[in-house]
Amino acid sequence: MTTTTPPPAPAPTAAGAAGGVASVPLLSVRDLVVRFRTQDGTIYAVNGIDFDLAEGETLGIVGESGCGKSVTNLAIMRLLPKPAGRIERGRILLDGQDLVVLSESEIRAIRGRDVAMIFQDPMTSLNPVLTIEEQMVETIRAHRTTSKEEARARAIELLEMVGIPKPETRLKAFPHQFSGGMRQRVMIAMALALDPRLLIADEPTTALDVTIQAQILEILARLATESGTALILITHDLGVVAGMTKRINVMYAGFVVESATTPELFALPSHPYTIGLLHSIPRLDSDGDEDLIPIEGRPPDQRVEPVGCPFAPRCAWRIDDCWSDNPGLAAIDGRAAVVMTGPAATHRIACFNPPTHDEALAGRPLREGFRPAPPPGTLPEDTGFEGLGSEEALEALEPQGAEHSPLLPRDEALLDAGRDRGQYPGDADRDSHR
Amino acid sequence: MTFETSEPAAPAADQPVVPVAPPPSPSVPATGAAVGRPPTSEVPLVEVEGLVKYYPIMGGFLRRHVGDVKAVDGVSFWVNRGEVLGLVGESGCGKSTLGKTLIQLTPPTAGLAKLDGEPIFGKKGKDLKKLRRRMQIIFQDPVGSLNPRMPISDIIGEGLLAQADAENRWGDRKVRDKRVGDYLDAVGLRRDYTRRYPHEFSGGQRQRIGIARALALSPDFLICDEPVSALDVSIQSQILNLLLDLRREFDLTYLFIAHNLSVVQYISDRVGVMYLGKLVELAEVEELYRRPRHPYSVALLSAVPDANPRVRKKRLVLTGDVPSPAAPPSGCHFHTRCWLYEQLGQPEVCTTADPEFRDIGDGHLVACHWAEKVPTAVVASAVPTAEVTTDTVAMPAAGIPAAPPIDAGPPTEEATASGT
Ligand SMILES: Nc1ncnc2c1ncn2[C@@H]1O[C@H](COP(=O)(O)OP(=O)(O)OP(=O)(O)O)[C@@H](O)[C@H]1O
Ligand SMILES: Nc1ncnc2c1ncn2[C@@H]1O[C@H](COP(=O)(O)OP(=O)(O)O)[C@@H](O)[C@H]1O
Ligand code: SF4
Ligand code: SF4
Ligand SMILES: [Mg+2]
Ligand SMILES: [Mg+2]
Repeated sequence: MTTTTPPPAPAPTAAGAAGGVASVPLLSVRDLVVRFRTQDGTIYAVNGIDFDLAEGETLGIVGESGCGKSVTNLAIMRLLPKPAGRIERGRILLDGQDLVVLSESEIRAIRGRDVAMIFQDPMTSLNPVLTIEEQMVETIRAHRTTSKEEARARAIELLEMVGIPKPETRLKAFPHQFSGGMRQRVMIAMALALDPRLLIADEPTTALDVTIQAQILEILARLATESGTALILITHDLGVVAGMTKRINVMYAGFVVESATTPELFALPSHPYTIGLLHSIPRLDSDGDEDLIPIEGRPPDQRVEPVGCPFAPRCAWRIDDCWSDNPGLAAIDGRAAVVMTGPAATHRIACFNPPTHDEALAGRPLREGFRPAPPPGTLPEDTGFEGLGSEEALEALEPQGAEHSPLLPRDEALLDAGRDRGQYPGDADRDSHR
Repeated sequence: MTFETSEPAAPAADQPVVPVAPPPSPSVPATGAAVGRPPTSEVPLVEVEGLVKYYPIMGGFLRRHVGDVKAVDGVSFWVNRGEVLGLVGESGCGKSTLGKTLIQLTPPTAGLAKLDGEPIFGKKGKDLKKLRRRMQIIFQDPVGSLNPRMPISDIIGEGLLAQADAENRWGDRKVRDKRVGDYLDAVGLRRDYTRRYPHEFSGGQRQRIGIARALALSPDFLICDEPVSALDVSIQSQILNLLLDLRREFDLTYLFIAHNLSVVQYISDRVGVMYLGKLVELAEVEELYRRPRHPYSVALLSAVPDANPRVRKKRLVLTGDVPSPAAPPSGCHFHTRCWLYEQLGQPEVCTTADPEFRDIGDGHLVACHWAEKVPTAVVASAVPTAEVTTDTVAMPAAGIPAAPPIDAGPPTEEATASGT
């Protein structure tokens, strides 16, 4: 599937033997492939991703709805909905132990104790008919042999940590008696109850208001630092991860398309999709005169097996190879030794035709004479996307040799782009709106 | 005046709220002309004065009227012709209710609103129909607001048919279909999509259909209630730019409601901030985002996570939750979470007197007794400015309230949780 250098295989035993404890990542995901078999056909949710996470490290996973963020993490927890969801391939190593092959009872022992998860909607994971106390004490005692009193004391301590006032009295409350923000605090308290080594927070603040979001993020950041718990923070909001995590993986259509340390990602965004995202979100700190450059089109239909670069239909930097080959994640500066984790992590992107720094700033190709490669079949020069709306043009989009376009299973993929002022993505010399 | 019975109770309401009751009689401060409007000869397109919308709470076995959700509690503003007025605030603060009341999807409890200087409430029959055409709304949920069993031609054509007359000839299928096609075209969809059904479209496309439906009636005033909140990040900017293009093309005036401060900043000319049913601040967009004067606006701006790790802003984390609009705090609604109130040593006036929505200069309106006391240092550190892009941002040491303890406990939560 990958045409470039495959990521280095993890060597837990070798590293362990060499005594390099620090070099063994806490979590190591390799070539993870997750699919769903549904009545609608196969859904290619996660398509071979690799990443590492060190002890105590914080990693942000960013991407749009449906790009596979949650599925990746459900796979790590082995909580994929059955029987539709399956890990088709790959390894998920926690301390060198492959979670993929564990039995149900073995993974259950790990869940909560070593890896805990917080979801967007706390109500889905809180039991509405049990008091907070019952739920917390139960969780603690399921994994630890402690007396009820000890478990209760621990519960109070945890609620205090997440800033619930008068925890002793609040223990008797039912989840519905709490506000959304309070429930999310309780969830965090429960997730931390067993001192997990890894905490996965899936859109923990998406359902909350900004001022409450700020409270919850502050608690998460503080607790992850204080307890040394490694954190994976999943969100669609680049702003949330910018202030929270040391590293960021940007996902698109089931692939990691860019991976870098947070400062590097923002200083030098390098994948066309990341660049597109940064130019398409209004920012408070912009001076207000910058126009947004939307990413035209929309993400591919994941019911079709991906071929080529998943971003190709929307990419202004596209070249011919992008339709047929998948660019694997590779270091942007061509460094041979790829560091997967930590502050020195190598900046990697999956792209055949990486934008330059100036282009990243401008949000579109600037190269002299560079025209985005027309789709196979070729469009009339001057019609731009206008022409793509016609049936003929859509047929022309089918890559030769393929039965149907993998990335454009239905013409709707281009409709959003459709008439959009007849402009090529990124080519947007939109006149000022103001 | 009767209350609607068909409206689903908003999920945020903690109490069983059944909106069937005689209207309560709120004590609305009688306001004259729209507050703070600079005296110009031009009549604003929309003027709103002292608008109030209460949803009655029915409780007990007898389902008696036991209180009110004060969703909109005395709001005054105006919208100039051709401008985009943004409205921000946290969920439940009354933004949607304000929009729905203006568009008369729900009757107001009290207050006055004018379109082109003409009162809009209380209109009936032909007058109402004419008014409906001039004011349109698009909703957050592009799926839920389109009838799944209707083809696009009917979805957009429905409103045209209702407004058909001899002059526009919209009753004629051919004329109607042509107009539907024209507006699909205008919003960037193919005109031959008219026979398709909503489920065949993506979220972004459905939002375009909603926009086409509203625009087909040639309104002057368009209320956009969270039009991009349900869309993917990469699709949001497509819709925002489309709205801006259409505004120019069709001479539209927008009331743009959203909770996302950066989105509102991008699209608006002026912005109003709501908290618990009241407008607490209203100013030109630049002014509001760079020099907020209400302690709540300052905190709101500082809470926005910034997609730029090099902008380090001092977070002003507000304590507690938003109180229930059924039992708003006395005096200034914000005093239970206000950092300035704490910093000033809890002045009594904040808990006893509802601050006047006053002009502090150049049409910058604020409802805070102490607006002039908001320290510039706090604003500077809490709000990103275009210039602040270096790695080291000086943190003004004085005058910044230390990030308060995470939670002092929401004062009215008890009331919220234990409703009747
Ligand atoms: N139970 C399921 N059955 C079938 N397909 C599924 C299921 N859960 C997820 N998918 C599909 O897998 C893909 C990845 O979904 P996932 O939930 O990981 O996205 P996400 O990045 O977390 O998005 P969001 O931001 O919306 O939470 C999508 O195409 C989704 O429709
Ligand atoms: N039909 C209704 N019946 C009762 N209460 C309602 C109804 N609609 C909204 N509310 C309440 O009014 C308040 C303001 O709601 P809304 O205008 O929807 O807020 P926003 O749009 O700012 O999120 C909330 O407390 C909400 O629960
Ligand atoms: S240039 Fe090619 S490989 Fe790179 S993102 Fe664009 S389409 Fe994908
Ligand atoms: S009036 Fe008092 S409580 Fe209200 S915002 Fe101003 S300082 Fe805060
Ligand atoms: Mg998800
Ligand atoms: Mg709303």
